[in-house]
Amino acid sequence: MGDMTAPRERQEKSGRRARLGRGLGVFCASALVAVATWLAPHIAQAQEILLTGPLKGAGAVRDLRLYRKGRFEIAPAATFTLLDEYLRQILVGGRITYNITDFLALGAWGGFSPEPLKLEAGLVEKIQAENQRRGGISAGRLAAGMQPRLQERLTSLNLGNKFEKQLGSINWIVAPQITFVPFRGKIALFSSIYIDSELYFFGGPAIAGVTERKDCDGPDSSTSGGCSSEALSNAVDGEGARIAVPNTETFPMESRIAIAPTFGLGFTFYVNRFNALGFEWRAVPFSRNTGGFDNHGTGPDNDFPDQKVNADDRDLKLNQMLSVSWNFYLPLDYQLSE
Amino acid sequence: MKKIGVAFLVAAAVCSTPLIAFAQDDEETEESEDSEEAGDEEDAEDGEAEEEDAEGADKAEGGEDDSGLGSICEIDPDACPKIDFDKEAARDIREQVFAVQQLFVLRRWRFEVQPYWQVPLNDQFVGHSGPGLALNFWITNVLAAGVSGNYYEPFNSDSEFNFQTRRAARVSVPLTEYRWNANLNFTYTPVIGKFSGFGDFIFQYDAYVVGGVGVISTRPIPVIDPDNRGFNWETNIAFNAGLGLHIFFNRWLAATLEVRDYVFNDKLENTEIPDGQEQNTSTWFGETQLTNNVQAQMGIAIFFPFSFEYRLPK
Repeated sequence: MGDMTAPRERQEKSGRRARLGRGLGVFCASALVAVATWLAPHIAQAQEILLTGPLKGAGAVRDLRLYRKGRFEIAPAATFTLLDEYLRQILVGGRITYNITDFLALGAWGGFSPEPLKLEAGLVEKIQAENQRRGGISAGRLAAGMQPRLQERLTSLNLGNKFEKQLGSINWIVAPQITFVPFRGKIALFSSIYIDSELYFFGGPAIAGVTERKDCDGPDSSTSGGCSSEALSNAVDGEGARIAVPNTETFPMESRIAIAPTFGLGFTFYVNRFNALGFEWRAVPFSRNTGGFDNHGTGPDNDFPDQKVNADDRDLKLNQMLSVSWNFYLPLDYQLSE
Repeated sequence: MKKIGVAFLVAAAVCSTPLIAFAQDDEETEESEDSEEAGDEEDAEDGEAEEEDAEGADKAEGGEDDSGLGSICEIDPDACPKIDFDKEAARDIREQVFAVQQLFVLRRWRFEVQPYWQVPLNDQFVGHSGPGLALNFWITNVLAAGVSGNYYEPFNSDSEFNFQTRRAARVSVPLTEYRWNANLNFTYTPVIGKFSGFGDFIFQYDAYVVGGVGVISTRPIPVIDPDNRGFNWETNIAFNAGLGLHIFFNRWLAATLEVRDYVFNDKLENTEIPDGQEQNTSTWFGETQLTNNVQAQMGIAIFFPFSFEYRLPK
């Protein structure tokens, strides 16, 4: 279908549209003038030179030393666990990282804690001292041909002969992680020593080897699969029943693997082109039974002991750690930014 | 259509025209504008100076301006500058660059008000979180004297771990709760620095050490014999030492992060209950133990007055 209107009418329509368009344009321009006048700054400052001058669009830092970009980082580290109730641990290990850019890196952190670096807290000594005191009372009652007191019998499910031997611990951790370095800077020490530094964040999955008290079920002796550390002596009481000796057995332990997230932040202080000192805070939250106690399993919210020691007795811990590392970078020299 | 174009031009002109324009030389405005950065001021001045120099150089080379160098040369040829600007421009400039050209924040003779919230770092048994306030007067740029205090009483919390240990092992650990503390401190700032965030913006920070002496009000939480024992608050002398960071948002506002250790002698509850002496208050206290209460303190710092003046250009 073609346009059937007359050329004159088309001209008039076109003229009306043009007038309408001009009118709209003038209106919009007037509105713009009004808004612009309202928004116009009342004071112009010399600072504006920076926005239009040669520094316009320039980066915050020029010739930045790219300590990370394209370099491997090998960082032997000692990691100290924090806020432990029973065992303070030191993990010996390190971190290997490849820095894709100056702000993004992929790598892995790991460490293991040998037995000499599992240090008992003061609470362990107090509990063990009380344990031994009760053992003396039970021995006296045994010699007198009496059954032990109820208090000692009640704790047999939770306390073995040596409390320090039933404590849960972290044996090793491996954590592949991604590192993000958003903050770079320098510090001045006494206005005379200047050190390049950075603040970074990291996260990833962690695989931890954990030792805990072995699962058990019921009030029987732990040697027969139960949870009690109570053993029966050959002596008998006045009624002819064999006398029980509480807290004489040491509970069996077993290892397991725990999977958990890990995250944290760290500071790096560059000593020279290929060496740096690092401090890192890390959390590896997962559940574990640090004391080997029967804490949960029955009642409302499983908050009451159930005479079993198993996964129900684990409590969620943040497992915080502090690492100190000495970092080496390869290749030995860094690049410079523009 | 031309009218529309004119209208847009007018609009653009209005947009780009300030109502009042003045240069950096207006000192009154400089002083009143707290948020202006000194480094930026310097840059602006440098820019101005460079423009003037370049202008002068052009005129000298071209010799077009009779009132400029050209006229000087005509009046006194001996005074006429004989500098080869091309040669001077090509010469390497070894400008001395300072690692920190100007302290971002001057503290001398300023008050610092520092409200914060603190959490304990080393007590697995009782939580002692709470608010705190520090007031400092900066005697120099790096040394301050001040007072600080924490309020603990409503926030003491016996952890579930204690209950579990008592239930499982029939062993009670003596526990202590805190009410408040007040301290007199000195703060020294040996470290200042700056970070580039995402390669785009720069923020300044400093690290300080703090230490002093004060008092702390404490009492044992009765866990050994709660039926008979009840303890009154007592004050003990407490020494404190710590490390902290100021991270500055501007010249009078900063975020603070501090770790401080309060050390004091703590009288613990007696773990024994002498037969027939349950009500005898002299038997309630046991050993006295040196206690470290390590706190992480997070808050803000506000400096008064808000503005200050630099005495030197760099």
